[in-house]
Amino acid sequence: MSQLEVETIPLRTRSELALRLDGLTKRYGETAVVDRLSLELPKGSFLGLIGANGAGKSTTLKMLAGMLEHDGGTAEVLGVPIEDSKPQHLARIGYVPESHNLYRWMTVGQAIWFCKRLNPRWDDQTSADLLKLFRLEESKRVKSLSKGMLAKLGLLLAISHDPNLLILDEPMSGLDPIAREDFLDGVLRTVSNRDCTVILSSHSIEDVQRMSDSIAFLHEGQLLMHRRTEDVLANARRVRFVVENGQDAPELDSTVWARNENREWLVTVSSYSPLTYEKLAHSPGIQNVEVQELSLEEVYKDYVRGQKQ
Amino acid sequence: MKIDLKSSKPIYLQIVEGVHSAIASGVYKPGERVPSTRDLAIKLKVNPNTVQRAYEELVRSGSLVSMRNLGKVVAKRAESSATRQSEMNVESAFKTGVEIARASGLSSRRIRELLDKVLKASEGKASE
Repeated sequence: MSQLEVETIPLRTRSELALRLDGLTKRYGETAVVDRLSLELPKGSFLGLIGANGAGKSTTLKMLAGMLEHDGGTAEVLGVPIEDSKPQHLARIGYVPESHNLYRWMTVGQAIWFCKRLNPRWDDQTSADLLKLFRLEESKRVKSLSKGMLAKLGLLLAISHDPNLLILDEPMSGLDPIAREDFLDGVLRTVSNRDCTVILSSHSIEDVQRMSDSIAFLHEGQLLMHRRTEDVLANARRVRFVVENGQDAPELDSTVWARNENREWLVTVSSYSPLTYEKLAHSPGIQNVEVQELSLEEVYKDYVRGQKQ
Repeated sequence: MKIDLKSSKPIYLQIVEGVHSAIASGVYKPGERVPSTRDLAIKLKVNPNTVQRAYEELVRSGSLVSMRNLGKVVAKRAESSATRQSEMNVESAFKTGVEIARASGLSSRRIRELLDKVLKASEGKASE
């Protein structure tokens, strides 16, 4: 049941796209850890990338941030193919990795000064505002910071140069709830009123759902789905029905996952329509048709389970 | 206003309903400003585009009015439309309940009894 479902959000010219991936691939030996990834992202949008460990999220994001070479396909970031990107182009990207191992010997103030020297687009006001918002102390050593403070410093360093693309790779994993809220606060303050496209990869489906205009499911290097967040929920349904003895269950359009226990079937579809119901309810030997709405977490799980079949 | 991420209801619709019930219950009065898109996004920790979308919907339905330099303001007649909207939400929730009841073969009488039971329980809670 392998299917690729990519809804291209209305056709746009290249200049309106922050990101354009076409068959982007990365191999380690024989294994494609990122496997023919194609996706378009309009400027100013917020993409949530959901996938388990090893789904290829970090590898994809590193390629986009210019930290890792790709093996196949093409990727244009802010209109520039990644193989052609120059330092002044990379200066328009902000990148926050999951673990911050940089600048451990410095103080917070020194780390800020150091990054400011590296990026000509650095804005002192933004940096000062975030320092205050995050309650970071300039005199503190980076190595003495808590995980939450470290994540906030990472965000400050990644957004004080007013990036046009902000890449957040699992930035909030292991943070306490308060630190997570502060972090989201910082991101929201940065992106609102600015020309900034954001990609957030996370295990936390809730954070992704809150923040994203569109959502992509990544699984074993492949893109299972990319859709507008609200369309995912508006169109996905789980259909339950009972078949009479000896009867085959009918195939439903846009099936994501189907399983049965004795005569009871549960089928998750990605594009439900009342026709789906009508067709089933009028099929001979089909009884008790019920349609349930799903949460984003359930939709994601069913996509992944559908791949394992 | 609370965002329920377990719900299958899109966040922008939850915000629309949240604003409606805030108007119906007098948290926002006619003529008053509602929070800016950015402030509400930061408060609810949601994407500003989502709040924008909800506000556009509220302007279209006549609950909010867009004022130059002032942002969005609660419309004069918003209270009645907000109450109507809240009632419609309740009605649609009842409809779902009735559909479930019918599917399990309950009679109209039994459905009324169950609704009474729920009402009594909530009155008990409200008077505590």
